[in-house]
Amino acid sequence: MIDSLCDQAAGKDVAVVGLYCDFLAQHEQSTTNILGAILKQLVSRGGIPGYIREAFQKAKREFGGRGLRLPDMVEILKKTITSLERMYICIDALDELVPKHRRELLRSLKEIIRASSNMRVLLTGRPHIDDEIVECFDKAVRIPIVPIQDDIRSYLQMRIDVDTTPKAMDAELRADIMRIIPEKISEM
Amino acid sequence: MLSGRQQVTGNINSFNSIINFITGIDAEGLQIMRWLSPLEPQQRHQDVRSDRLDGVGNWVLETTEFRKWSDTEDGLIEPVLFCCGDPGVGKTYLR
Repeated sequence: MIDSLCDQAAGKDVAVVGLYCDFLAQHEQSTTNILGAILKQLVSRGGIPGYIREAFQKAKREFGGRGLRLPDMVEILKKTITSLERMYICIDALDELVPKHRRELLRSLKEIIRASSNMRVLLTGRPHIDDEIVECFDKAVRIPIVPIQDDIRSYLQMRIDVDTTPKAMDAELRADIMRIIPEKISEM
Repeated sequence: MLSGRQQVTGNINSFNSIINFITGIDAEGLQIMRWLSPLEPQQRHQDVRSDRLDGVGNWVLETTEFRKWSDTEDGLIEPVLFCCGDPGVGKTYLR
Protein backbone atom coordinates (compact mmCIF):
# COMPACT_ATOMS: atom_id res chain seq x y z
CA MET A 1 0.00 0.00 0.00
CA ILE A 2 2.78 2.36 0.94
CA ASP A 3 4.52 1.92 -2.40
CA SER A 4 1.36 2.39 -4.47
CA LEU A 5 0.50 5.56 -2.58
CA CYS A 6 4.10 6.78 -2.98
CA ASP A 7 3.83 6.28 -6.74
CA GLN A 8 0.61 8.30 -6.80
CA ALA A 9 2.16 10.98 -4.62
CA ALA A 10 5.30 11.46 -6.71
CA GLY A 11 5.88 15.11 -7.55
CA LYS A 12 3.17 16.40 -5.22
CA ASP A 13 3.46 17.72 -1.70
CA VAL A 14 1.98 14.52 -0.36
CA ALA A 15 3.57 12.49 2.41
CA VAL A 16 3.16 8.74 2.76
CA VAL A 17 4.33 7.25 6.02
CA GLY A 18 3.91 3.86 7.60
CA LEU A 19 4.54 1.61 10.50
CA TYR A 20 4.45 -2.15 11.03
CA CYS A 21 3.21 -3.23 14.44
CA ASP A 22 4.92 -6.32 15.79
CA PHE A 23 3.97 -8.23 18.91
CA LEU A 24 7.66 -9.04 19.44
CA ALA A 25 8.36 -5.31 19.71
CA GLN A 26 5.35 -4.55 21.95
CA HIS A 27 7.40 -3.05 24.76
CA GLU A 28 8.88 -0.33 22.57
CA GLN A 29 5.83 0.23 20.35
CA SER A 30 4.14 2.68 22.69
CA THR A 31 1.75 5.27 21.29
CA THR A 32 4.30 8.03 21.70
CA ASN A 33 7.02 6.03 19.95
CA ILE A 34 4.67 5.13 17.08
CA LEU A 35 3.56 8.73 16.55
CA GLY A 36 7.22 9.75 16.93
CA ALA A 37 8.19 7.34 14.15
CA ILE A 38 5.51 8.87 11.93
CA LEU A 39 6.76 12.37 12.69
CA LYS A 40 10.32 11.22 12.02
CA GLN A 41 9.35 10.07 8.53
CA LEU A 42 7.60 13.37 7.88
CA VAL A 43 10.55 15.53 8.90
CA SER A 44 13.11 13.33 7.15
CA ARG A 45 11.49 14.22 3.83
CA GLY A 46 10.92 17.92 4.45
CA GLY A 47 13.60 18.92 6.98
CA ILE A 48 13.24 19.48 10.70
CA PRO A 49 10.99 22.48 11.46
CA GLY A 50 12.17 25.10 13.96
CA TYR A 51 9.49 24.27 16.53
CA ILE A 52 10.74 20.66 16.78
CA ARG A 53 14.33 21.83 17.25
CA GLU A 54 13.15 24.20 19.95
CA ALA A 55 11.20 21.46 21.74
CA PHE A 56 14.29 19.23 21.59
CA GLN A 57 16.61 21.92 22.95
CA LYS A 58 14.14 22.72 25.71
CA ALA A 59 13.87 19.03 26.71
CA LYS A 60 17.66 18.75 26.69
CA ARG A 61 18.08 21.80 28.94
CA GLU A 62 15.34 21.03 31.38
CA PHE A 63 15.27 17.30 31.84
CA GLY A 64 18.43 15.93 30.31
CA GLY A 65 16.74 15.13 27.00
CA ARG A 66 13.71 13.13 28.10
CA GLY A 67 11.21 12.24 25.40
CA LEU A 68 8.05 14.09 24.42
CA ARG A 69 4.82 13.35 26.23
CA LEU A 70 1.91 12.04 24.18
CA PRO A 71 -0.15 15.29 24.19
CA ASP A 72 2.91 17.27 23.02
CA MET A 73 3.64 14.71 20.32
CA VAL A 74 0.03 14.96 19.08
CA GLU A 75 0.26 18.77 18.95
CA ILE A 76 3.55 18.72 17.02
CA LEU A 77 2.16 16.18 14.55
CA LYS A 78 -0.93 18.31 13.91
CA LYS A 79 1.27 21.31 13.25
CA THR A 80 3.57 19.41 10.88
CA ILE A 81 0.69 17.88 8.91
CA THR A 82 -0.83 21.33 8.27
CA SER A 83 2.06 22.23 5.98
CA LEU A 84 1.31 19.32 3.61
CA GLU A 85 -1.12 19.05 0.75
CA ARG A 86 -2.05 15.57 1.90
CA MET A 87 -0.77 12.88 4.20
CA TYR A 88 -1.35 9.13 4.18
CA ILE A 89 -0.56 7.06 7.25
CA CYS A 90 -0.51 3.26 6.89
CA ILE A 91 -0.39 1.19 10.06
CA ASP A 92 -0.03 -2.53 9.56
CA ALA A 93 -1.12 -5.26 12.01
CA LEU A 94 -2.80 -3.01 14.54
CA ASP A 95 -3.93 -6.15 16.37
CA GLU A 96 -0.32 -6.84 17.37
CA LEU A 97 -0.17 -3.83 19.67
CA VAL A 98 -0.91 -4.11 23.39
CA PRO A 99 -4.67 -3.31 23.72
CA LYS A 100 -3.92 -0.29 25.90
CA HIS A 101 -1.56 1.18 23.28
CA ARG A 102 -4.00 0.36 20.48
CA ARG A 103 -6.85 2.28 22.14
CA GLU A 104 -4.56 5.16 22.90
CA LEU A 105 -3.24 5.24 19.33
CA LEU A 106 -6.75 5.19 17.84
CA ARG A 107 -7.83 8.03 20.13
CA SER A 108 -4.75 10.06 19.24
CA LEU A 109 -5.33 9.49 15.53
CA LYS A 110 -8.91 10.64 15.99
CA GLU A 111 -7.71 13.82 17.60
CA ILE A 112 -5.18 14.47 14.84
CA ILE A 113 -7.74 13.77 12.11
CA ARG A 114 -10.17 16.22 13.69
CA ALA A 115 -7.59 18.96 13.15
CA SER A 116 -6.33 17.73 9.78
CA SER A 117 -8.81 17.16 6.96
CA ASN A 118 -5.88 16.46 4.60
CA MET A 119 -5.11 13.21 6.37
CA ARG A 120 -6.01 9.63 5.43
CA VAL A 121 -5.41 6.61 7.63
CA LEU A 122 -5.15 3.04 6.43
CA LEU A 123 -5.21 0.33 9.07
CA THR A 124 -4.74 -3.39 8.65
CA GLY A 125 -5.48 -6.03 11.24
CA ARG A 126 -7.45 -9.07 12.21
CA PRO A 127 -11.24 -8.74 12.27
CA HIS A 128 -11.49 -8.92 16.08
CA ILE A 129 -10.26 -5.32 16.50
CA ASP A 130 -13.14 -4.05 14.41
CA ASP A 131 -15.16 -2.98 17.47
CA GLU A 132 -12.31 -0.87 18.78
CA ILE A 133 -11.92 0.87 15.43
CA VAL A 134 -15.66 1.53 15.15
CA GLU A 135 -15.63 2.96 18.66
CA CYS A 136 -13.34 5.76 17.45
CA PHE A 137 -14.34 5.92 13.78
CA ASP A 138 -17.95 4.85 13.38
CA LYS A 139 -17.92 5.48 9.62
CA ALA A 140 -14.61 3.70 8.90
CA VAL A 141 -14.71 1.92 5.56
CA ARG A 142 -13.86 -1.78 5.62
CA ILE A 143 -12.25 -3.92 2.93
CA PRO A 144 -12.21 -7.63 3.82
CA ILE A 145 -8.93 -9.14 2.59
CA VAL A 146 -9.27 -12.68 1.30
CA PRO A 147 -6.77 -14.69 -0.72
CA ILE A 148 -7.92 -14.92 -4.33
CA GLN A 149 -7.12 -17.91 -6.54
CA ASP A 150 -5.22 -15.95 -9.20
CA ASP A 151 -2.87 -14.52 -6.58
CA ILE A 152 -2.23 -17.93 -5.05
CA ARG A 153 -1.53 -19.39 -8.48
CA SER A 154 1.01 -16.72 -9.38
CA TYR A 155 2.71 -17.14 -6.00
CA LEU A 156 2.88 -20.94 -6.41
CA GLN A 157 4.24 -20.52 -9.93
CA MET A 158 6.99 -18.26 -8.64
CA ARG A 159 7.92 -20.72 -5.88
CA ILE A 160 8.01 -23.62 -8.36
CA ASP A 161 10.18 -21.54 -10.72
CA VAL A 162 12.76 -20.92 -8.01
CA ASP A 163 12.66 -24.46 -6.62
CA THR A 164 16.21 -25.69 -6.06
CA THR A 165 15.37 -29.35 -6.75
CA PRO A 166 13.00 -29.15 -9.73
CA LYS A 167 13.66 -32.77 -10.70
CA ALA A 168 11.96 -33.98 -7.52
CA MET A 169 8.66 -32.88 -9.07
CA ASP A 170 7.07 -34.39 -12.18
CA ALA A 171 4.49 -32.70 -14.40
CA GLU A 172 1.61 -34.44 -12.65
CA LEU A 173 2.65 -33.34 -9.17
CA ARG A 174 3.17 -29.82 -10.46
CA ALA A 175 -0.33 -29.79 -11.95
CA ASP A 176 -1.80 -31.12 -8.69
CA ILE A 177 -0.07 -28.40 -6.68
CA MET A 178 -1.34 -25.71 -9.00
CA ARG A 179 -4.89 -27.04 -8.86
CA ILE A 180 -5.40 -28.31 -5.30
CA ILE A 181 -3.72 -25.61 -3.18
CA PRO A 182 -5.68 -22.66 -4.65
CA GLU A 183 -8.92 -24.65 -4.28
CA LYS A 184 -8.26 -25.57 -0.66
CA ILE A 185 -7.22 -22.07 0.33
CA SER A 186 -10.30 -20.44 -1.12
CA GLU A 187 -12.47 -22.95 0.75
CA MET A 188 -10.96 -21.82 4.06
CA MET B 1 49.32 3.70 14.43
CA LEU B 2 45.86 4.36 15.77
CA SER B 3 44.60 2.28 18.66
CA GLY B 4 41.71 -0.04 17.93
CA ARG B 5 39.33 2.23 19.78
CA GLN B 6 40.45 5.33 17.90
CA GLN B 7 40.15 3.45 14.66
CA VAL B 8 36.57 2.43 15.47
CA THR B 9 35.63 5.96 16.53
CA GLY B 10 37.15 7.28 13.34
CA ASN B 11 35.15 4.84 11.28
CA ILE B 12 31.93 5.72 13.09
CA ASN B 13 32.57 9.42 12.55
CA SER B 14 33.19 9.01 8.87
CA PHE B 15 30.14 6.74 8.63
CA ASN B 16 28.03 9.42 10.33
CA SER B 17 29.31 12.09 7.98
CA ILE B 18 28.38 9.89 5.03
CA ILE B 19 24.86 9.51 6.46
CA ASN B 20 24.68 13.27 6.97
CA PHE B 21 25.78 13.82 3.43
CA ILE B 22 23.13 11.45 2.07
CA THR B 23 20.21 12.62 4.20
CA GLY B 24 21.23 16.28 4.49
CA ILE B 25 20.69 16.12 8.24
CA ASP B 26 23.16 17.70 10.66
CA ALA B 27 24.44 16.12 13.89
CA GLU B 28 21.72 17.74 15.98
CA GLY B 29 19.17 16.52 13.44
CA LEU B 30 20.28 12.93 14.01
CA GLN B 31 19.94 13.42 17.77
CA ILE B 32 16.45 14.83 17.23
CA MET B 33 15.46 11.85 15.11
CA ARG B 34 16.53 9.48 17.87
CA TRP B 35 14.77 11.63 20.44
CA LEU B 36 11.48 11.56 18.51
CA SER B 37 11.36 7.77 18.42
CA PRO B 38 13.63 4.73 18.66
CA LEU B 39 11.50 2.91 16.06
CA GLU B 40 12.86 2.49 12.50
CA PRO B 41 9.95 1.27 10.35
CA GLN B 42 11.87 1.74 7.09
CA GLN B 43 13.88 -1.43 7.73
CA ARG B 44 10.79 -3.63 7.93
CA HIS B 45 9.37 -1.91 4.87
CA GLN B 46 12.46 -2.82 2.83
CA ASP B 47 12.08 -6.48 3.88
CA VAL B 48 8.41 -6.53 2.90
CA ARG B 49 9.18 -4.88 -0.44
CA SER B 50 11.80 -7.42 -1.38
CA ASP B 51 9.62 -10.41 -0.42
CA ARG B 52 6.54 -9.16 -2.22
CA LEU B 53 5.45 -10.68 -5.51
CA ASP B 54 4.37 -8.05 -8.05
CA GLY B 55 0.71 -8.12 -8.94
CA VAL B 56 -0.45 -10.13 -5.93
CA GLY B 57 -3.10 -8.26 -3.96
CA ASN B 58 -3.48 -5.54 -6.59
CA TRP B 59 -7.21 -6.20 -6.73
CA VAL B 60 -7.49 -4.27 -3.45
CA LEU B 61 -6.12 -1.14 -5.13
CA GLU B 62 -8.84 -1.45 -7.77
CA THR B 63 -11.73 -1.57 -5.30
CA THR B 64 -14.09 1.39 -5.20
CA GLU B 65 -13.48 1.67 -1.46
CA PHE B 66 -9.72 2.10 -1.88
CA ARG B 67 -10.00 4.46 -4.83
CA LYS B 68 -12.49 6.70 -3.08
CA TRP B 69 -10.37 6.72 0.07
CA SER B 70 -7.20 7.69 -1.76
CA ASP B 71 -8.62 10.06 -4.40
CA THR B 72 -11.63 11.89 -2.96
CA GLU B 73 -11.25 15.53 -1.97
CA ASP B 74 -10.65 16.34 1.67
CA GLY B 75 -13.72 16.57 3.86
CA LEU B 76 -15.94 14.57 1.51
CA ILE B 77 -14.82 11.12 2.58
CA GLU B 78 -14.33 9.10 5.74
CA PRO B 79 -10.57 9.28 6.27
CA VAL B 80 -10.16 5.85 7.87
CA LEU B 81 -9.92 2.65 5.85
CA PHE B 82 -9.62 -0.73 7.56
CA CYS B 83 -8.30 -3.74 5.62
CA CYS B 84 -9.28 -6.64 7.79
CA GLY B 85 -8.48 -10.29 7.41
CA ASP B 86 -7.32 -13.39 9.20
CA PRO B 87 -3.64 -14.15 9.80
CA GLY B 88 -1.73 -15.03 6.65
CA VAL B 89 -4.16 -13.71 4.04
CA GLY B 90 -1.60 -11.16 2.82
CA LYS B 91 -2.59 -7.88 4.49
CA THR B 92 1.03 -6.83 5.01
CA TYR B 93 1.99 -7.58 1.42
CA LEU B 94 -0.54 -5.36 -0.34
CA ARG B 95 1.39 -3.12 -2.66
